[in-house]
Amino acid sequence: MAAVKQTIDQVEQLEAYEHGFVTDIAQDFAPKGLSEDIVRFISAKKQEPDWMLQWRLEAYARWLAMDAPDWAKVSFPKIDFQDLYYYAAPSQKAGPMSLDEVDPELLKTYAKLGIPLREQEVLAGVQGAPRYAVDAVFDSVSVVTTFKNELAEVGVIFCSFSEAVREHPDLIKRYLGTVVPTTDNYYACLNSAVFSDGSFVYVPPGVRCPMELSTYFRINAQNTGQFERTLIIADKGAYVSYLEGCTAPQRDENQLHAAVVELVVLDDAEIKYSTVQNWYPGDAEGKGGIYNFVTKRADCRGDRSKVSWTQVETGSAVTWKYPSCILRGDDSVGEFYSIAITNGHQQADTGTKMIHLGKNTRSRIISKGISAGKSSNTYRGLVSAHAKATGTRNFTQCDSLLIGKASGAHTVPYIEARNASSKFEHEATTTRLSDDQLFYVMQRGLSQEEAVQLLVNGFVREVLQELPMEFAVEAQKLVAISLEGSVG
Amino acid sequence: MLSVSNLHVAVGGTEILKGLSLEIPAGEVHAVMGPNGAGKSTLSYTLAGRQGYEVTSGSASLNGEDLLAMAANERAAKGLFLSFQYPLEIPGVPSLTFIRTALNAQRKARGEDEIGAPAFLKLAREQAAKLKIEFDMLKRPLNVGFSGGEKKRMEIFQMAMLSPQFLILDETDSGLDIDALRIVSEGVNALRSPERGMLVITHYQRLLDYIKPDRVHVLAGGKIVASGGPELALELEDTGYDRFAQAAA
Amino acid sequence: MSVSEALKSRDASLLPSRRDEAWRYTDLRAAVRTIPEPSPLGTVPAAPGPFAAIKADRALVIINGRGPEVLSLDTGQVLCVELRLVADSHATSHQSDLRIDLASGAHLTLLESHEGRGAAYLSSANLIVHLAEGASLERVVILDEPSDAVSVITADITLSPGASLKQTVLTRGASRQRFETQVTHPGGGASVRLDGVYMLADKCHTDLTTIVTHVGPGGTTDQLTKGAVRDASRAVFQGQIQVQPGADQTDARMGHHALILSDRAEIDAKPELEIFADDVSCAHGNTVGALDEDALFYICSRGVPLDQARAMLVQAFGLEVIGRIETEAVREVAQAWLAEVGAGGSDGL
Repeated sequence: MAAVKQTIDQVEQLEAYEHGFVTDIAQDFAPKGLSEDIVRFISAKKQEPDWMLQWRLEAYARWLAMDAPDWAKVSFPKIDFQDLYYYAAPSQKAGPMSLDEVDPELLKTYAKLGIPLREQEVLAGVQGAPRYAVDAVFDSVSVVTTFKNELAEVGVIFCSFSEAVREHPDLIKRYLGTVVPTTDNYYACLNSAVFSDGSFVYVPPGVRCPMELSTYFRINAQNTGQFERTLIIADKGAYVSYLEGCTAPQRDENQLHAAVVELVVLDDAEIKYSTVQNWYPGDAEGKGGIYNFVTKRADCRGDRSKVSWTQVETGSAVTWKYPSCILRGDDSVGEFYSIAITNGHQQADTGTKMIHLGKNTRSRIISKGISAGKSSNTYRGLVSAHAKATGTRNFTQCDSLLIGKASGAHTVPYIEARNASSKFEHEATTTRLSDDQLFYVMQRGLSQEEAVQLLVNGFVREVLQELPMEFAVEAQKLVAISLEGSVG
Repeated sequence: MLSVSNLHVAVGGTEILKGLSLEIPAGEVHAVMGPNGAGKSTLSYTLAGRQGYEVTSGSASLNGEDLLAMAANERAAKGLFLSFQYPLEIPGVPSLTFIRTALNAQRKARGEDEIGAPAFLKLAREQAAKLKIEFDMLKRPLNVGFSGGEKKRMEIFQMAMLSPQFLILDETDSGLDIDALRIVSEGVNALRSPERGMLVITHYQRLLDYIKPDRVHVLAGGKIVASGGPELALELEDTGYDRFAQAAA
Repeated sequence: MSVSEALKSRDASLLPSRRDEAWRYTDLRAAVRTIPEPSPLGTVPAAPGPFAAIKADRALVIINGRGPEVLSLDTGQVLCVELRLVADSHATSHQSDLRIDLASGAHLTLLESHEGRGAAYLSSANLIVHLAEGASLERVVILDEPSDAVSVITADITLSPGASLKQTVLTRGASRQRFETQVTHPGGGASVRLDGVYMLADKCHTDLTTIVTHVGPGGTTDQLTKGAVRDASRAVFQGQIQVQPGADQTDARMGHHALILSDRAEIDAKPELEIFADDVSCAHGNTVGALDEDALFYICSRGVPLDQARAMLVQAFGLEVIGRIETEAVREVAQAWLAEVGAGGSDGL
């Protein structure tokens, strides 16, 4: 019907990327290319202790022997790892930074990025600003950390990864690489060798983190591989909610992003990890755009521990991402809520793994994929129950919505059950936006664009509800923008 | 009010309406009755502006404005409301959110101010009570998991909330038991006014015991083959549609 | 990597292994270290096949890979054929190939059995089936193979517009057993039903794999597979529905539902949708779980012993699939199979 046709047209006219600009800050580069020397350079630049360097070098040696994975339903030109920069830091004066010292260019950048006003206030240090701790990662180095003192009062450590290596080596040594081992996969291994910076969070036993922790990642320098490393530990009975949002400026050449996120959850602890990802997806011809190859995994090590992943993925040219839960502790709970929207020439292969190892573990997967334009959107998921994981439960709902003749929507679930008391339920549907529903909504007075928006928001609502309020509003806007292009 | 003249409509290349004419002045309720396949639903969908219903000739206007030139939502903003025979389920969109969005879209199109949340909620509570709709039901996604009767009551509720000028009830009685039929009919009757027109499309006379029409038309073979007062409906109940079907052929 | 190639070249390293995505749950290379000697000429078994109760128009027997190679039906011809593929072989290997052609409007009821009369054999059977416009095939397959056999059965079925395929496979597995059906679906009013029931015990394994490719608009596919695994058995279901560009108005449903009756048993499922058209309606559902305790208790409370109550529920579970077989006499044979196989097992079932 015409409404769908028009939507396709709108979707095809990709709006010029809102965040397409370049911030002019002098870069502090490592030479182009990857070698053992570069690994040493990065480690030295970050004033790392020797054990950290050795860890990196070992990962690098392993990585040299590995092959890039080829099983995902994505295709892109072979990456020349020698043609990338592995270290870039905004040049700043040495020493601890106060907000006054922050490059005004950087603050302007945040404004252009459309970071919610309230969080800009936080960044600007305005009195009475809402209580968000924002650890902003500009390119590779953590620039601003606020509310550190307030967090310190309750014992929560929230700092850049580099700082944690220096200040909290015992925690790093104890937990780093225990959830995502160095050799877990090609990109995680690369990250282990050359990770630039990232966030570190430790919530001590029994502490409920008094605020949402949030971080903004952004890729700024041309040809800069971005290799964040995030490690979050919720000790016994602790709770933390962590928000991650991403945007990137426009680029002609593809940029590689290979982050690793490790979550460790001990007895009775809970981590809620929310992501809104809006990196540059490439232009209308599909040129440029970010390659987003991320390894995110949570280890529910303790009994009754809980992890909840929520993601809204609208950006990047190629996404390869499976936030997973290892449900090791008895009665532990894993959740995965996902909205993945692809448009233009975007390709996304994303989903989750729920590995049930402990008794009476439960998991829930709600995935909503929307494919428009000439994009390809794949849900890939694994649910498995070990023979000893008796009494486990999984529910999976996996829905795809198609807008546009040239797009693809794929569903590839793997279900592996190995004991008699597990119960797995999986449902998947693929449909297009219904003409009947569109007409019904328009009969009540909504325009075609409004009708499409309403139906799409209805489609993803179940997942949006899982996001913290401030994020949900932002995400809903993002859904509309990503999908409708010129619809407004 | 509604004026339909010599309307020809084809669906998928097959002509369904073959020169249908109808005049419904403000303040009147007209019933269109007819056998299955006579074109009743085609008439309601064409008037409401559904895609795929190709008007090959003829005209249809509401208060002198050409309906056929408008998109479905523009017709709605002009006050045309179709109560669907099979109301659609809209997952993820709470009923109240939906109605408020629709109401404000219509008001905006008419150059009116948006209705505020408190006024809207007050109105919703009043109307829901009249139609014996639990207020909690309005927080659930529209029509999802509703019974046939609940869906029809929700249609009438929307009608009451949107306060349209002209109402088309398409087989509103189908799937309703006697109690539900009474509630729905009371809801419809409450909307009767000298300013409003109504087109009641039905197969059975039963609904017309509750919603008394001023005029009754028989639709057969794609056109109106007989018109009369309410007694025509009773007559049809006795004699059936056969003689009209033959007349149309 | 294919079984045929491995058999032909007698090179076990050509067998597919779990490193091949399509065989990740059925590792033949691990199960077969060397390709056994070729099977000798076999003899027609004295015992009747599982479909003996049905009076077929024609009976075809392929023994140890030797027998008829083509079955053709003329335009409008209606035929019921009993097809028996017999492995009369001990620790040897063989391959059978059969081509089936249905001219337009022809209707074939194919009662197919794979009967293992020997032991520890490796066999491969490949059917290539073509259905012309308006032709229809009702294929009911019973796999009756010994628990130490390795068997791979493939069918490559191409439909023309207006054709219809209705398939039901019943199996209790083997050492490694793969039953693979590939369908090229033209749309255009053609319809496909692909069903299966597995009832596994001991260390048996079966792998039911289907790939349905919709290449044209307006096709329907309806799949239902159900089964139960006891003891240390393992069932694999891989169902892929592909909708190629332009295959709009495709309506495809796939269901796989499994009961795990032992902590040593395993179910692996991979229901897959690959959609490249926008005007489609596709869905799959997959459930894995134990028997309903409430239902068990209810039946027991009426005086039925626990074992019998379990068997009753397991059979009832599979019955839904068998109820979809259209021909009554064939349905009765399938019911009898279910009653026999569904009651067995050494976990007290």
